[in-house]
Amino acid sequence: MDNKLKEALDFSNYSATLNNQKQILSKKYQDDLVFYFNGGAFVATQDLFSFVVSLWTCGIDKTVIIDTNNTPVQIDNVSDFLDMVKNQYAFATNTYLDDFKTLTSKRSIQDLVNE
Amino acid sequence: MNNGVLCFANNNGRIDYVKQAEFLATRVKKYLGLPTSLVTSTPQDVSNKKLFDKIIEIQDKNKNTKRYYNGTEHESLLFKNNDRCNSYAYSPYTKTLVLDTDVIICNDSLKHAFTNNHSFQIYSNCVDLTTWRHHPEFDYINDKGIEFYWATAFCFTKDDISERFFVMLNYVVENYKHFSNVYDLGTRNFRNDHAFSIAIHVLNGFLENDWIKKLPGSLYYTLDRDHITNISNDKLTFLLQKEKCHGEYTLASTKGMNVHVMNKFSLEEMIK
Repeated sequence: MDNKLKEALDFSNYSATLNNQKQILSKKYQDDLVFYFNGGAFVATQDLFSFVVSLWTCGIDKTVIIDTNNTPVQIDNVSDFLDMVKNQYAFATNTYLDDFKTLTSKRSIQDLVNE
Repeated sequence: MNNGVLCFANNNGRIDYVKQAEFLATRVKKYLGLPTSLVTSTPQDVSNKKLFDKIIEIQDKNKNTKRYYNGTEHESLLFKNNDRCNSYAYSPYTKTLVLDTDVIICNDSLKHAFTNNHSFQIYSNCVDLTTWRHHPEFDYINDKGIEFYWATAFCFTKDDISERFFVMLNYVVENYKHFSNVYDLGTRNFRNDHAFSIAIHVLNGFLENDWIKKLPGSLYYTLDRDHITNISNDKLTFLLQKEKCHGEYTLASTKGMNVHVMNKFSLEEMIK
């Protein structure tokens, strides 16, 4: 086989593996955003973060938030809940950033799947 | 309230499901901190009884066969899968997480199934590890839009609601041919996923579901055409079959993600 063609085919395999690993990281990021509070399941989205900050800024201590299972969950301490959202968001995004940087610095298929 | 995991393992002379159950029990204890009970028709194959909280012996009544793929090759083997409709009766726990033996637990997300008040939790959407595959048969059980649920993992509390579900599920299993016709499943073999999906649909008044809830975390899966090539703590490595290219694979790895490995032969190689 022509060397340039072989290089192109090797790169094609590398690209396919890289793309799939990126998707796996992205799915894991979505999982990492989920946290559990008072029996409910929540996703630490930017929307939820902003909403809870608004409650806290308005001095609202207690509230009800609908979780991912459409179940209303009593939040007795908005400040504690805000900490959970903040921490989970920071954990998920920082992990995603680190893993993404590591992944995209790899230059061979074998390296892509090794830590 | 006592919590625990229940799994079913019936060896068929070719695939060592009991070995898989031992592997599962080890990881359940490590990641979820829960005891595991085993329901089996082949208790003589258990090599380490200490791994299990209880071993519940049952009679083998199944005569189903199915094709087991190992990458591009396959063979027809006995598939002894009818008993999980009796999970409610078998379980020694107040709240039970039922898991297939070919699920590799790599994180603690499922322990949150025990911190809520939901009667019944199950996945309707599991995630393929590839970007190039989509399986409509895992969205709906038929063309009429009846939602598909995975019997691979579910959690129930022993209460009136769950009891009603298992009564209905047993009725569906006993009359599977009839329900298969009504739900237009074609000539396919008995499948727990379909029986569960039908029972959920019937129990919800033949409407979209509302009474059951999603299990915490996500469950990823690889097909029986794929291979698992390494298990190192919470890091798993796979060869995933390329689109429309039999026998050609893309390398992939996961870390801290629960994965349902459908290639039993490949899994067995890894856990020997």
